[in-house]
Amino acid sequence: MNVVTAVRRAKRLGAVTLVGITMVAIIVLLTILSPIISPYDPIASNANRVLLGSSWEHWLGTDAYGRDVLSRTLEGGRFALLVSLLATSISVAVGTFVGTIAAYYEGWIDGAITRVLDALLAVPAVLWLLLIVSVFGTGTLVIVAAISVVYSPAVARVTRAAARPVLRSPYVVAAQSRGEMSLPILFREVLPNILDTILVEFAMRACWVILLVSTLSFLGFGVSPPTPDWGLMIQENRTALVVAPMGTLSPIIALSVLVVGLNLAADGLGKYFGVDRAMRGVA
Amino acid sequence: MEQPATRSTEPAPGKPLAVVEGLTISYRAGDGDVVVARDVSFTIQEGETMGLVGESGSGKSTVARTLLGHLRPGSRIDSGTVTVLGKDVFALTEPELRDMRGSQVAVVPQNAGQSLTPSMRVGRQIQESLKLHGLPHSLERIAELASLVRLPTPREIIQCYPHELSGGQQQRIAIAMAVATDPMVMVLDEPTTALDVITQGAVLSLIQELRERLQMSILIVSHDLGVVSAIAENVIVLNQGVVVERGSARQVLTAPKAAYTQRLLAAAPRLHPAPGAPAPEPISFDDEAPILLRCNEVDIRYPHAHSLAVKGFQLDVRRGETVAIVGESGSGKSTVAQAIAGLLSVENGEATIVAADDQNQDLRRPVRKRPPMVRRSVQMIFQNADLALNPRRSVGDSVARPLKLFKRTRSRAETRQRVGTLLTEVGLTEAFARRVPGQLSGGQRQRIGIARALAAEPRLLIADEITTALDVSVQADVLRLLDELRERHELSCLFISHDLAVVKVMAHRIVVMKDGYVVESGRAAAVLNDARHPYTRALLDSVVEAGAEHLPSVDIEQRVRKVDSSAAMVDVGDGHLVRADEGAEV
Repeated sequence: MNVVTAVRRAKRLGAVTLVGITMVAIIVLLTILSPIISPYDPIASNANRVLLGSSWEHWLGTDAYGRDVLSRTLEGGRFALLVSLLATSISVAVGTFVGTIAAYYEGWIDGAITRVLDALLAVPAVLWLLLIVSVFGTGTLVIVAAISVVYSPAVARVTRAAARPVLRSPYVVAAQSRGEMSLPILFREVLPNILDTILVEFAMRACWVILLVSTLSFLGFGVSPPTPDWGLMIQENRTALVVAPMGTLSPIIALSVLVVGLNLAADGLGKYFGVDRAMRGVA
Repeated sequence: MEQPATRSTEPAPGKPLAVVEGLTISYRAGDGDVVVARDVSFTIQEGETMGLVGESGSGKSTVARTLLGHLRPGSRIDSGTVTVLGKDVFALTEPELRDMRGSQVAVVPQNAGQSLTPSMRVGRQIQESLKLHGLPHSLERIAELASLVRLPTPREIIQCYPHELSGGQQQRIAIAMAVATDPMVMVLDEPTTALDVITQGAVLSLIQELRERLQMSILIVSHDLGVVSAIAENVIVLNQGVVVERGSARQVLTAPKAAYTQRLLAAAPRLHPAPGAPAPEPISFDDEAPILLRCNEVDIRYPHAHSLAVKGFQLDVRRGETVAIVGESGSGKSTVAQAIAGLLSVENGEATIVAADDQNQDLRRPVRKRPPMVRRSVQMIFQNADLALNPRRSVGDSVARPLKLFKRTRSRAETRQRVGTLLTEVGLTEAFARRVPGQLSGGQRQRIGIARALAAEPRLLIADEITTALDVSVQADVLRLLDELRERHELSCLFISHDLAVVKVMAHRIVVMKDGYVVESGRAAAVLNDARHPYTRALLDSVVEAGAEHLPSVDIEQRVRKVDSSAAMVDVGDGHLVRADEGAEV
């Protein structure tokens, strides 16, 4: 794809979507590049330079241990982003599978799956997480697994609802009348037509997962100090909110930019892949 | 440009109620402007019925809706005026417009089922439009309106919710709402398109009756030349937003001057030959061809349904023969198609096909349990071509799928080549393989549907209302194509349709169904020219065609009785079978 078509495609996404994508891209890039661009070691404390305000040396000041807030903010997204990428992928994959299966088979299989999903959904997300984390510990994999368990049922409900009308559409009936097997019907006919829903679901879940991971860290179940993490930073620095506000505000701003960006991007992508796409006649 | 005053071919019966002058409407699309209507002018006199005819995209609805001051979002008036009852519609303020809509100018929408509020009793909805314009809205008045539109048991019916009514009844409620305020001008936007033939006839008669009784002027918009011809005195033909012809209905629809109107008329299949035109010779068929499909005493039931959808269905289709199944919605004609295609299973009876391996194979089982050879032999073409193709798959991919599934081709290159051949065969080019359905017109999509069915190299094609969604001129091409392919490949065709005129063009034999029973069957000529069953006759009587000025009687719906479940099929000669119901000539 050359530059011209790339620009033309980007234009079709719309300004708001582009802003959203840019916001997400900035945060992700900064997080990836943080080891190179961080001015200080994020965990090096310095008792002489505690709770400083903004200065040329420390742009965002320092925290109660004299650690550079800018460096900690730059590095603090790594855990949340990694966990949310993994957990969201698993949730969406598992949820899509379960949801389309339920929609495809209807009848008692659908009933059984849906009731189990309802039961899982009835338990508040944070409660689930705390339960799993307190039984299995706070390892990254445990948290990824825990979040997947929490969010798969919601994804399954959404994809089930999206797949149901598609399964009744004449092109699926046409496939059935050819005698197609279940898997080709699901993969050829159904999945491409609910892809927009799945993508939007992915973006929305990703931002909820980021908030959830940060909540966990805030509550002390996520990363352990002194590793920098946005949720943990908010928890650590909030007592010094009046003295050195940037210690609390910068992780909050970083989180907000990411979450708002994801929301905008999800919204725009949904439109781009959904209605508009079918109207333009792009496969 | 002509002047409005000199336009009418007949002396004006009264003062002009609605005057459209030099109307040009366009909307922005992408980089340019699309003109929906260009310099359209017409006048509707007091008590006149004006017909606006055109194919989809001709701008007929857009023009008609301007009488109510409606413009689709994004479109604008470039020039021209619309004057209704002496007022310039687009100069009115919003409250003035609201006041005018519904009281002086009323509209009956195309699909009443969708424009009635589902959660509100229909009586309340009529009441609402009365209340809004400060008119008396007692229960008496509503019941009176319901009986005015000839609803049986008006007092009970106004207590119903829309879903409890039939399509025809919903349309009557919509008409009742429109006439409730005693409007001067009524705009009918495709008022019968969604209705069955018999219901359509009855609704048209009702409109005619109301016009005379209430002294309204009517603007009727339709793609159906017959509908317009039956009601309108004067007709305007629109093509791509431009008026191509105008004049009295009789002149325009029997002796059109514009080439476009002539093409349109020639493309519309007719049940009765046009006045003055020679009767087409009946389609003959070799009765000695071997039987391909045999259905004997077939009962079909939808899963978990209490009663059977189709009872005692009887049909033989010979090799190369086209058999049409006609009937209204709910008659069971599509159910039969689905059962033979294997989407439903046959509960009782015998159903066999001579499959591609020349063996007699059982068709009672659903498609999953049929061997590939049987599945391949029966292919279906769907009603809505735009929905029957996966929007995310390229045309080539859709056509190639049956080739791969039934192992018709061995290599990728062979598949590609075969797809190209198939596309050429249905009148498209190989380049279409790369497109997606969204980039095609309705007619092209239906051609793809046919190509996909052909790809399997079937013995029997099931065409389920395949031209319902198409414009007349496109329909003619698709039908001709289907007939050619049938002949070339020696295919048999089960042609499901509610349109008797189309059936007449296509079918060698006709089966008429009602309420799940076959009521009459036989050679096409016998059934159409010598109908013996009262239902077949009602169907034939209800057809309104261009140039024909008769209308079916207003109560034709009530004349159609239930089918007697114990009646026997009687042969009245030459394989012409008639169900011995009350009123049947056997």
